[in-house]
Amino acid sequence: MRPARLLRWYPRAWRERYGEELLALIQDTVDDGRPTWRLRLGMIRGGLRERGHQAGRAAKTAAKRLAWRDRWNLFITGLVLATLPEALAVSPSRAHGWQAAAVYGVLAAVALAAAVVLASGLTALPALVRFLRAGGWPKIRRQVTWATGATAAAGGALAGLSAGLGSRSYAQLNASSTYSVGLLVAGVVVGVAIGLWTAAAVAAARQLTLAPGVRALHLVLGAVTRTAVMVMFVTLVLWWSATQSSVVLLVLALVDLAGGSVLAPARIGQAVRKGRRLRAAGGAAVVNPSAARTHGRHRA
Amino acid sequence: MAPSGLRRPNDPPLLILVSLADGPKHGHALAKDIEGFAGVRLGPGALYGAITRLVERGLIEPLGGDDRRRPYRITPPGSAALAEALADMRRVARVGVARLGLDPA
Repeated sequence: MRPARLLRWYPRAWRERYGEELLALIQDTVDDGRPTWRLRLGMIRGGLRERGHQAGRAAKTAAKRLAWRDRWNLFITGLVLATLPEALAVSPSRAHGWQAAAVYGVLAAVALAAAVVLASGLTALPALVRFLRAGGWPKIRRQVTWATGATAAAGGALAGLSAGLGSRSYAQLNASSTYSVGLLVAGVVVGVAIGLWTAAAVAAARQLTLAPGVRALHLVLGAVTRTAVMVMFVTLVLWWSATQSSVVLLVLALVDLAGGSVLAPARIGQAVRKGRRLRAAGGAAVVNPSAARTHGRHRA
Repeated sequence: MAPSGLRRPNDPPLLILVSLADGPKHGHALAKDIEGFAGVRLGPGALYGAITRLVERGLIEPLGGDDRRRPYRITPPGSAALAEALADMRRVARVGVARLGLDPA
């Protein structure tokens, strides 16, 4: 393998900055021009390490941009999705009363959130297609690549969690600290994957010119998504309270439900009013004015 | 761990700082010098991984010139971090030597 091909293990930005220097060093190091296996393995290890560093920096930057409320929502969404294997494997057929109702509530909240996110994506799809056809892919490739990698990791974490379920009952799972830690880790990994997809969607949206009606709809759908996450949290805690017979968790769920019942309609109402103002202002709202200059208009 | 992140005597970043303490060097010269004074053979991947971290932390900086064999020099924060790490190591070495009853000379 030629030294230049080994550089592919490194991230693009790193190659642009240090690639030529590294190749010169390899030329100086290798006598006959053919890298040894030790050198190749060192390059592969170094490249993967750089990719890891880059991923860490990207995650830190993304986390800094997120408000605490968004981080909480991502964590809860990840946690709820991580509990789905357990919910589907153990409930509702083998559950009773509150347990089954709470599990159905969790599943309904997940379905609602997924439908809302799907609807948001579909409304922006025509503009996205035009943007990609106009050569916009390089502008979002990095974010999509990271999100895809994180999704693969999340899939692995969920598969591992599902494999660990076996035929254990709720009580056995609740008593297992290994399962609890695995659940938390899987929840975080899934949350990170969703966060990276959100970042990719935001990066893409910044390049699009969306009609006021679509932007107004996105505002409302965003408020509905946050409400769905609140419902996920309430139903998740209700489910846990039912499976663990915990009054404390039940009270926590009811308090959160009471708070959410007040906040959610206000939040959605605010989004509707803001959307109306946006539509009344008229004209296409350019999220990123430079997008219109460089790629033309990709109106939805 | 020292605030500079320099921990062990054979850490590539520490070896690079020691090598650059007497003047700027490019990659190949660094590798040769380190092999000479420490007996540690740093591969290109490990060397440039350490250089990347040191540049990011502002402990070394590239000099102009040939893009393919760009020399690096230690910065004032790099010198301070190196001095701190070496002082820590000297303190530990002095205790070890005393406890073993060896002649510190």
